[in-house]
Amino acid sequence: MMENVLQFLPLLLSGAIVTVEVSVLALLVSSLLGFVLALLKLSPNRWLAYPASGVVNVIRGLPILIVLFYMYFVLPELGIDLTAFQAGVLGLGIGYSGYQAEIFRGGIQAVDRGQTEAAQAIGMKPAMIMRRVTLPQALRISIPPYANTFTMILKDSSLVSTITVAEMTHAGQLIASATFQNMTVYTLTALLYLAMSLPLLYLVNRLERHLRR
Amino acid sequence: MIKITNVKKRFGNLHVLKGISLEVGCGEVVCLIGPSGSGKSTLLRCINALETYDDGDIHVGERRVDAASRTIHELRSEVGMVFQRFNLFPHRTVLENVIEGAVHVRREPRQQAVAHGLELLEKVGMADKRDSMPGQLSGGQQQRVAIARALAMRPRALLFDEPTSALDPELVGDVLAVMRRLADDGMTMVVVTHEMGFARDVADQVCFLHDGVIAESGPARQVLEAPRHARTQDFLRRVRSA
Ligand SMILES: Nc1ncnc2c1ncn2[C@@H]1O[C@H](COP(=O)(O)OP(=O)(O)OP(=O)(O)O)[C@@H](O)[C@H]1O
Ligand SMILES: [Mg+2]
Repeated sequence: MMENVLQFLPLLLSGAIVTVEVSVLALLVSSLLGFVLALLKLSPNRWLAYPASGVVNVIRGLPILIVLFYMYFVLPELGIDLTAFQAGVLGLGIGYSGYQAEIFRGGIQAVDRGQTEAAQAIGMKPAMIMRRVTLPQALRISIPPYANTFTMILKDSSLVSTITVAEMTHAGQLIASATFQNMTVYTLTALLYLAMSLPLLYLVNRLERHLRR
Repeated sequence: MIKITNVKKRFGNLHVLKGISLEVGCGEVVCLIGPSGSGKSTLLRCINALETYDDGDIHVGERRVDAASRTIHELRSEVGMVFQRFNLFPHRTVLENVIEGAVHVRREPRQQAVAHGLELLEKVGMADKRDSMPGQLSGGQQQRVAIARALAMRPRALLFDEPTSALDPELVGDVLAVMRRLADDGMTMVVVTHEMGFARDVADQVCFLHDGVIAESGPARQVLEAPRHARTQDFLRRVRSA
C-alpha cells in the first residue's frame, strides 16, 4: 500500500502542476472576459448592454463540458486548431466568465449610489468615477465570491481530463486503469484536491469575515 | 451667482417642483426650509445637475445648467456639494479624500493640492486626522472632512443638503460652526436645513418650500420670526416643538 502510494505520487503531482496551471490561466481568462462583460452589461448604451447580457446568459446556461468539447472537437472543424491544453484553458475560462461577470456586476452595483454622486459633485467624468471610486470598492466587495469561484475552477479543471489534458484527474485515470488500484489512486487524488481547495476555502472564509468588519 | 427661473420637475405623475424661481447673489447664504417631500433636495440637486429638470432655467454664473451637456462636469467642479450622509470615499484617507478632486479633476500639482488640503483640514479642525480612514471617524468629523473636500475644488458656491441631520445632537455644533465661518468668509451657500437657529443667524434669505412651490421667502428674521403665511407658521411651530 505504502509503496503504491510512493509509486503513484510523482505522477499525480506532475498532474497537479498541470491542474494548477490550467486553473490559474482559466481564472485569468474568465476574469478578463467577465470583467469586460460586466462593464458592457452595465453600460447605459443598450446596444452594448443587451448583447452582453445575452452572452452572459448563454454562457451560464451551457454545461462546461459542452464548451470544452466545442473548443477541442468543433473548432478544428472550423479551421481553428488548439492544443488540448489551450482548449482546456479557454473552455474553462469562457465557461466561468459568465459567473465572473455576475460577480463583478454585483460588486459594482453594491457600491453606494452616494459615492457616484460625491464623485460627480467634484466634477469627475464617468470613466474616472468608475476607475477611481466605483471599481476599487466594487473589487473589494467581489473578493470573497471571486476566491470562491477560483475554488470551483480548481475542482472543475478535472473536466479537462475528458479532452486529454494531462492534469491530475487524467493522471489518476491512467494509473487506475493500468494498476486496478482504484481505491488507492482515487483516494490519493481526492486528498490532493482537498490539499489545494481546503486552504482556498479557509482563505475565502477569512476574507469574508475580514471584509464584513 | 445662481439664478433659478420657473423650474419645474416631475417624477412620473408626481410634480415635485412646480415653478421655482430664486436668485442667490454672490456671497449670499440662502436657506431652504420646508416639510419632508416638499422638493428641497430635488431643487438643490438640480443646481449641480445631479438631477435633471423638465422646464425653466438654472444659471450658475453665465452658464446654463444642463445635465445632458458634455461639459457638465466642469460646472459641477465649480459648485461644491455636501451631502446628508457625507459620502466620503471609504477606500481613501482623509487627506486623499480632500485632494482627490484637486489632483485628478483640477490637475493641480500634488504638492500644491496637499498644502491646500492641509490648510482646509486645519480650517475644519481635522488636520490631526489626515491619515485616518473615514470609517474611523464620527459622523461630525466625516462631515467636516466632506466640507474640506468640497472646498478643495475652490468652488464658487457650496450646496448643503441637510448636512447635520444624520448627526448625533452633540456633533451638530461643530459642523454648524464650520459653516458659519464659511459664510463669514463670504462663501455663496445654499443650505437645506432644519436648523432654524443657524438659518436665523446666518442666512441672508430664507425660502419656505411647500408642495413644490416657494410659499414664502424673504430675509431670515422676517420669515422665521414673523411669517405671513399660515403654512409657514404651522411648519415653524411643528419644527420648534420637535
Ligand atoms: N428619484 C426619484 N424618483 C421618484 N421620486 C422621487 C425621486 N426623488 C425624490 N422623489 C420624490 O419627490 C418628492 C420630493 O423629494 P425631495 O427629496 O426633494 O424632498 P425633500 O424636501 O428633500 O424632503 P426631505 O426633507 O425628506 O429630504 C418626494 O415625494 C420624493 O419621494
Ligand atoms: Mg431632502
